[in-house]
Amino acid sequence: MNNYILSKKLFRNELSTFYSFLIGFIIALFVGSLILLIQDKNPIDVFSLMLKLSVGSINSLSNSLNKAIPLILAGLGISIINSVRLWNIGAEGQIFMGALALNFFYINSSIQNSALYIFLLLTASFIGGSICILIPALTKVLFGVNEIITTLLTNYIVFGLTIYLINGVWKDPASLNFPAAAYVSELVYLPIIVGKLSSGFLICIIFTLLAFYIKDKSVFGYEMRIAGGSELTAIYAGISAKQKAFLAMLIGGGFAGLAGGIELLSQTHRVSTGISQGFGYTAIIVAAITGMRPLGIFLVGCLFGALTIGGSVIQTIGVSSYIAEIIQATTLFGALVAQFFFSYEIKKKVENG
Amino acid sequence: MVDIQFIGLLNATLQAATLLFIAALGELITEKSGILNLGVEGMISIGAVSGFIAAINTGSLFFAIIIGVLSASVFASIHAFVTVVLKQDQTVSGLILTILGLSLSSLIGKKYVGKKLDVKLESVVNIAEPDSILDIFLSQNIIFYLGILLMVATAYVLKRTMFGRRLEAIGEDLKSSDSMGLKIAKTQFIATCVGGAFAGLSGVYLTLSYVPYWTDGMTAGRGWIALALVIFGGWKPYRTAFGALLFGFLEALGPRLQTYGFEMSPYIVKITPYIITILVLILLTIFKNGDTGAPRNIGIPFFRENR
Repeated sequence: MNNYILSKKLFRNELSTFYSFLIGFIIALFVGSLILLIQDKNPIDVFSLMLKLSVGSINSLSNSLNKAIPLILAGLGISIINSVRLWNIGAEGQIFMGALALNFFYINSSIQNSALYIFLLLTASFIGGSICILIPALTKVLFGVNEIITTLLTNYIVFGLTIYLINGVWKDPASLNFPAAAYVSELVYLPIIVGKLSSGFLICIIFTLLAFYIKDKSVFGYEMRIAGGSELTAIYAGISAKQKAFLAMLIGGGFAGLAGGIELLSQTHRVSTGISQGFGYTAIIVAAITGMRPLGIFLVGCLFGALTIGGSVIQTIGVSSYIAEIIQATTLFGALVAQFFFSYEIKKKVENG
Repeated sequence: MVDIQFIGLLNATLQAATLLFIAALGELITEKSGILNLGVEGMISIGAVSGFIAAINTGSLFFAIIIGVLSASVFASIHAFVTVVLKQDQTVSGLILTILGLSLSSLIGKKYVGKKLDVKLESVVNIAEPDSILDIFLSQNIIFYLGILLMVATAYVLKRTMFGRRLEAIGEDLKSSDSMGLKIAKTQFIATCVGGAFAGLSGVYLTLSYVPYWTDGMTAGRGWIALALVIFGGWKPYRTAFGALLFGFLEALGPRLQTYGFEMSPYIVKITPYIITILVLILLTIFKNGDTGAPRNIGIPFFRENR
């Protein structure tokens, strides 16, 4: 090995992230197949069933896209926060907080049959997500407290708060064994576009474009990148790095909160522990695998939504749904391995005197 | 004679602290070498489930501990490979290690949910009714004492041996370490796997003694509290142990608050350790004024420019 040296490539292929993702996905399918083989299941049968039940019909395809909504929105939030080189591991908590804030607003307002009212409800969920990340954001910019740990720990706090509320003041007497809040009125359900596809998906498309604009086209996005890149450059350019970091975190948290609001109005129709099934964690994979690019997050979010639906339906033939999660995580590991070969090259050492 | 409630509280404190401390100590070693591993939660989970499965199938606790420690260590080597050999982002890799560890352990532990262990880690000294502080310390199981031993050993190795000094040098200054001819990749790889082994031991303690059964998500964020503990301890073994006792005390105190006359919803009690962890982390960062004692090169991949 000593005869070889590693050198950084000067130019990286524009599409290297995309290729890395593809390679990672193939590796992950291979690993998934191995696990299935160990469990005496035929991988081709399982995967084709997953494919059929996740994208085979209008209904299953719309289920998949519905699942993609929270993954995409939370992933976009993570990517915005990453513009200032900070991590948001608290998307799971923000999703729950979005749903809690929406329900709080719903209970304390008179229900109206109007698009404006639904808009206000969703705004409440966005604000809920921002509130959820407020303490990590404040302590980060004021004192430099590690945001990875604080955002992560808020997940447990908000989840505990949710359980407290649905077992206590918000508990619906009608739901006996399964603790949950009361259902919201049908007037505020998000309308269906086609099949089972919720109009939340349209909101999702709008927010993808919005995130793309914020990150890549707006002055604010440019300032965020400078603030995250180098403190000195930011000072020189007259940019308050702390202010940008704070705003980025609030906006990013709001995206995840909105995901919780849409989930409530389109899927669960009430606050329960089912508002999120680990979407906030999967969203980290979605965001990281695309190199934090909004349009990539949208596409990978759709794919992972389908994988999640596929994973849940194969339980009926006795295959664990965790296989989908393992494929998702392994895809990222595979992509990291591939990324190495796009960024470095191994050269034979040249003897020079 | 000491108050029986106090005895119970002390016992629970030591057990909760052991669990947190061993994982934190492992992460401390990893971070000292400049590698940040956010996968602690996943590694504990892997150690917990594999130790539990080994204990059920073989009935041998010794074998179960070995299996738990080894599998978590092998699992940590994924992180070592991706970050040390392939020089990829340590934050991303560590996070995915947690996600993968939790889902993988749920997958392999599925058949074992709800099964009961015939064997359990027993106290080293059997005391029927412990009624003094000394009795409590004497009636812990083997992993508790192993934890103390590891604490002393880690402090010694880091401060007094060549390996430890090199490890710390690498975590502080990669370039100088490289020009001194230290084997950076090898040291960081070993440190990451050792960190995994410690997390595995902590996981084994969870399923063979602390809880003792297996269920999904039973690590309940302890890996993240362990990460906070390393910061709390300023990357020093003894101070980390003190932090573990403090956090262990808080975890043990929660369910007992009512017996002391505080009326609190059990759901709120459950989240107090997380709230307190955040508060402590904030206070600590404020009072340390930026200088937390973190290894300077933490999270930065090493790459020697060829000329």
